[in-house]
Amino acid sequence: MKRRLLRTLAFLLLLAFVFPMIPHAARAEEPIVVSVFIADAFDQPTSDNKIYKLIEEEFGIKFEFEFLAGDLDETLGIKIAGQDYADLICGSNSAEKLIDAGAHIDLLEYITPEKTPNLWAHYEPHLKRITVDGALYVLPNYGRIYNDPIVNYANGPAFWIQKKVLAWDNYPMIKTVDQYFDLLLRYKEAHPTTEDGLPTSGFEILTDGWRNFCLLNPVQHLMGRPNDGGVFVHWDDNYKVDVFHNKPYAKPYYQKLNEVFHKGLIDQDTLVQNFDQYLAKLSSGRVLGMFDQYWNFQNATDSLNAQKKFEDTYIGLPLVYDESTKEQYLDQPIINVNRGFGISVNCEYPERLVNMFERMLDDDWQILFHWGIEGEDYYVENGRFLRTDEQKSNAENAVWVNANKAKQFFYNAPKKEGTMDNGNSWDPGLQPELYFELMSDYDKEFLSKYNMKTPAEFFRPAPPNQPYYAAWQIDLNPFPDIQDINTHMTDIQARDLPRAIMAPAGEFDSVWDAFVAELDNAGVKEFEEFMQKIILELNDKLS
Amino acid sequence: MNAQRYKPKQASLGHRLWQQRQLLFMSVPMLLYILLFSYAPLWGWLTAFMDYKPAKPMFDNAWVGLANFRWLFSRAEFMLAIRNTFMMSIITLVFNTVSAITLAVLLNEITARKFKRTVQTVTYLPHFLSWVIVVGLAQNMFATDGIVNAVLLRLGLIQSPLFFLGEGRYFWWLVGLIHIWKEAGWNSIIYLSAMSSIDPALYEAAEMDGAGRFKRIWHITLPGIKSTFVVLLVMNIGMLIGGQGDGNFDIPYLMGQNLLMDWSQTIDIFVLKYGISKGQYGRATAAGIFKSVVAIVLLFSANRIAKRLDEPTLL
Amino acid sequence: MNKKTLSRSRWRRSSHYWNAAFHTANVLFMLALMVVTLYPVVNTIAISFNDGTDALRGGIHVWPRAFSLESYRGVLSDEYVFSAFFISVSHTLIQTVLNLVLTSMLAYTLSRREFILRKFITTVFVLTMYVNAGLIPNYLLISRTLGLGKSYWVYIIPTMLSCFNMIVIRTYILNLPDALVESARIDGAGEFRIFWQIIAPLCLPVLATVALFVAVGAWNSWFDTHLYNAGKPKLHSLQYLLKMKLATTQASTNAAMSSTAALSAKPTSTPITIRAAITVISALPIMLVYPFLQKYFVVGLSIGSVKG
Repeated sequence: MKRRLLRTLAFLLLLAFVFPMIPHAARAEEPIVVSVFIADAFDQPTSDNKIYKLIEEEFGIKFEFEFLAGDLDETLGIKIAGQDYADLICGSNSAEKLIDAGAHIDLLEYITPEKTPNLWAHYEPHLKRITVDGALYVLPNYGRIYNDPIVNYANGPAFWIQKKVLAWDNYPMIKTVDQYFDLLLRYKEAHPTTEDGLPTSGFEILTDGWRNFCLLNPVQHLMGRPNDGGVFVHWDDNYKVDVFHNKPYAKPYYQKLNEVFHKGLIDQDTLVQNFDQYLAKLSSGRVLGMFDQYWNFQNATDSLNAQKKFEDTYIGLPLVYDESTKEQYLDQPIINVNRGFGISVNCEYPERLVNMFERMLDDDWQILFHWGIEGEDYYVENGRFLRTDEQKSNAENAVWVNANKAKQFFYNAPKKEGTMDNGNSWDPGLQPELYFELMSDYDKEFLSKYNMKTPAEFFRPAPPNQPYYAAWQIDLNPFPDIQDINTHMTDIQARDLPRAIMAPAGEFDSVWDAFVAELDNAGVKEFEEFMQKIILELNDKLS
Repeated sequence: MNAQRYKPKQASLGHRLWQQRQLLFMSVPMLLYILLFSYAPLWGWLTAFMDYKPAKPMFDNAWVGLANFRWLFSRAEFMLAIRNTFMMSIITLVFNTVSAITLAVLLNEITARKFKRTVQTVTYLPHFLSWVIVVGLAQNMFATDGIVNAVLLRLGLIQSPLFFLGEGRYFWWLVGLIHIWKEAGWNSIIYLSAMSSIDPALYEAAEMDGAGRFKRIWHITLPGIKSTFVVLLVMNIGMLIGGQGDGNFDIPYLMGQNLLMDWSQTIDIFVLKYGISKGQYGRATAAGIFKSVVAIVLLFSANRIAKRLDEPTLL
Repeated sequence: MNKKTLSRSRWRRSSHYWNAAFHTANVLFMLALMVVTLYPVVNTIAISFNDGTDALRGGIHVWPRAFSLESYRGVLSDEYVFSAFFISVSHTLIQTVLNLVLTSMLAYTLSRREFILRKFITTVFVLTMYVNAGLIPNYLLISRTLGLGKSYWVYIIPTMLSCFNMIVIRTYILNLPDALVESARIDGAGEFRIFWQIIAPLCLPVLATVALFVAVGAWNSWFDTHLYNAGKPKLHSLQYLLKMKLATTQASTNAAMSSTAALSAKPTSTPITIRAAITVISALPIMLVYPFLQKYFVVGLSIGSVKG
C-alpha cells in the first residue's frame, strides 16, 4: 500500500516536471517583437495591458506601436521614401499610397481554405472587392457581418431636428425638405429664445475644414441615395455619374436655404464658425436642426444628456424632395476596402503573423477582444451577455481602456461583426439590452409616441447595395489629373455654396449660374465620365 | 606737422589666412556643418523636374522638365495665392514691427522695475498658446454677436454688427491683428535687449540739454535700435513669400477655408492641397524652388537698398 | 546702478505736467495691454480645469464653471509622461547651451570686418533661411545617410546652429565699441580669448534673448520625434506625447466607420479641455524661464564695463 502510494506520488511529481515542458515543446516559437505602424492617433497601451499580455502568452508576440501625430500624407511620403516599414502596417485613409508603393506583401500566399479556414471564410464573400489585381494586401478591419447586422440608430447622415420641436407640433411625420423648414420656421417664431434666454438658431451648417460635408452632401440624399461621396450615380441610366452640386436638382435645396436665410432661420455666423463653436451651439440646446452625421456631433449629444436636456437632443429624419422619392439614407455595411493591417515587405515572419490572425478569428479570441474576460468585463445571464454599471463605465473610461483592452490593435484587426451564433451582438455597443439601458426615459417616451423602439425605425431598412458601392472608396491616387479636378471642385463648392445661401434676395439666380459655370469649367465633365467608366468596370468585376 | 600714416603692404592670402587662423577655427567647422545639413539635401530640388514618386529610387523617375512649374503658373488659384501671401505678409510685417517697437519703446520708458518685468512677462505669454487656441478665441471675439461688435455698437461707431469673419475685405486685417495679439510681446524682446546696450549717459546728457521725453526717444532710443530694426526688416522682407511658423499658414488655414477662400488661400496652403496631400512631390518642390528664388531676390534687393541708404546691411 | 538711481531722482525733480500725463497714459496702456494679452491665457487655464463635456457649451471666460481635474489626470496618467519630461528638459538644456556657444562664436567671427571669409560665410548662412530642400531629402539625410534615426542624438546634432539667432547676435556685437577689441588685441589676446572673456560677457542681454529663443524652440519640438522616434515611446518628447494625447481625443470623437468606434469611450475630457490642459502643461515650465533671464536685460551693463 505504502509503496503504491509512493509510486503514485513519484509519478505525479514526474508529471509536474514534465507537463510544463510539453507546451513549450509544442510551441517551439521564440518570443518576437513585432513593430506596428498605424496611421491614426492612438494612445500607447500601458505596459501591463491585460490583453496584450495574453497575446504575448499565447503567441509569443510583443507589439511595438508607432502612431500618427502629424499630417497623414506627409508621414506616409516619408515612410515610403525611406522604405522603412514596420512589420505590420496600416495606412488608414491613405493606405492606397502604401499599396501603390509596393510596401505590402500579397497575403493570398498564406491565406488558403486549407491553411487558414477562418480567414478564408471571413473574407471569401468579398474577395473580388478587396483584392487588387488578384492580390490581397490589406485585411479589412470592418464590414464583415455575421448573421444579423444590428441597427439601433442612424449613425450616419440625416437631417436632424430637436425632439422638443417635433413634440411641440404633436409628433408629426416629417418627410420632405419643405415640411422640415416649415416646421422649423413656425417653431422659431413661437420660441425666439430658449428657456435659458439664449437666442434660438434655426438651422446650422458646418463648413469647418473637412467637416464641410454638412454643406456639400445633402442633395444626394434628397434625391433618394445613400452616401456615395460627391457624386450621384444614375443606377438605371448606365450608371451615368453626376457631380450633383451644380445640377438643376441641387438648386431647389440651396434656394430653400437662401429663402430661410432671409427669413432669419439661419445665422450668418454658421457659415464661418469653427467646429468648437458649432459644438458649443449644439450643446447649449438652442439649435433646432442641422444636416450632419451622428458621430460628428456625438460630443454635443453627450453634453446635452449630461445636462439632462433630453428634449434638446436630436432625432434623425430621412428627408427627400418630395414624397414620391424613396429615401435611402441607410446603407448596408460595406467591407472596408484597404483599411486594416497589411504585412510589409520588411517583415521576417509573415506566416507566423497570418497564423496569429487566423487564430484570433476564433470565437474565444473575438469575444476577448470585443467584450473582454467573462466575470471581469461582462457577465452572462440566460445566455445573454450583459454588463454591470461598473463594467459599463469602465468601457467608457479612456484610462481603463488603455490598460484593459487592445484597442489600438483590434481597431485595425480583422473582426466579426453583427450577431454571434448564440444571438448576442459581437459589438457590445449594439447589444440591445445595453443600448436600451442607456436610453433616457424621455427618449423612450418620445419614440413610443411614434410607435417605435429605436431611432433607426424612422429610416427605411437598407436595401442591398449596388455592386460598385460606394463611390468614395474608389482610389484616385493613380490619376493625378482627376485628383486635381476633384480638389478644385471641392474648393469651388466650399466657396460658392455659402455665397449662394447668403446671396441677397433676387441675386440668387445669378450667383447660382456663376457657380454652375465655374464648376463646369473646372472639369466636371471629365470627372463624371471618368467615374462612370470606373464604376462600370467595378460593376463588372464585382457582380 | 605732416603726419603720414605708414600703410603696410597688403599681406599675401596665405599670410592673412594664417593670421586669422583663430577666426577660421571658430567658423569653418560651422560652415562645414551648415553645408552638410542645409545644402547637401538640395539634391532634392531635382525632383521638381521629375514626376517624382518616393517609392522609386531617385533616378528611376521620369523627367518632365518644366512641366511642374508650368502647371503651377497655369492655375489661377496659385496666382491668387501669391497675391494673398504677399498681402498678408506685408500687413503682418508692418503690424508686427510697429507694434513690437512701440511696445519696446513704451516699456523702456517705464522705470518701475517690477512693473516693467511684470508687463514683459504677461505680454509675451500668448506666444505660448497654439494658433488653434488663439484663432478659436479670435473667432469668438469677432463673431456677429461677439465682443468686438458689442463694443463698437456700444460706442456708437457702427449701426449694426459687422460680419468680420465672412467678408473678404476684413480678412487680411484680421490676420494682422491676431498676429499682434499673439506675438507683439514676444517680438518686442529683441528690441528690448537691443535697447539695453544704449549708453545711459546719452540719456542723461540729453536731459541736461533740455531734451523732452519724445526728443530723447527720437534721438537716442530709436537710433539705438536702428541696426536691429534694419537687419530684422531685411530678413523679414526676404520672408514675404512665406516663412516658417509665422502664422501666415495657420491663421488662413484655420479661419479661411470657406467662402473667403479667394482671400485666404496662401501658397503654402495651395501646395499642401495640390502637392503633398496628393503625393505630388515634384509639384511641391517646384513651388518651394519658386519661393526660394523670390525670397532671395527680395532679400538681396532689400539689402542693396539698405546699403544705398547707408544703413547697416545684412550681407 | 548708481547712474540709474541718479537719473531717476533727477526726473522726479523735473516733473512737467505732460511728463506725468505721459507716464500715466503709458501705465494705463500697459495695464490694458496686460488684460488683453492675459485673457487668452487665463481663459485657457480656466478651460483646462473644467469638465470636458461641460466645456463644450462654451461660455467659459476666466473661471471654470464645472471644476474638474479630469483632463490633467487623463494627460498626466500616461506612463511615459515622466520620461518624456526628462527627455524634453535634457534636450532643451543641451541644445540651448550647445547652440548658444557655437552660434555666438560664429557671430563673433562674422562681426570682424577684416575676416577673410566674412562675406562668404555670412551669405552661405543667411541663404539657408530662405532655401529649403524639402522634407524628404532632409529626412533621408538624417535617417539614412547619417543614421541618426531612432536615437536621442537626432534631437541634438541637426540643431546645433541657427542662422537667425546668429544674425541677431552679430548685430548686437557690431554695436559694441571697436575700442574693446582693439585694446584687447594690443594686449596680445587671441581671438578666442577676446570672444570668450570680453565680448561674451558684454553680450549678456542678447545671449539671454537668444537662449530664450533656442530654449523655447527646443522645448516645443515634436516634429523631430514624429519623424524619427515615433516608434520609441521612451524617446518621445513631452510635446509629442501631449500632441498624441490631443490627437487621440479628437480621433475618438471622429470615428466615422463603425458604430463600435462611435460608442466607445464617451469622454469627460474633450478636445477642448485636453487642448487647454496640454497647453498649460507644456507652456508652464518654459514660461518660468523668462523671468529668470530677465535679470540679464539690464541697461548699461555693457557700457559700464567699458568705462570702468
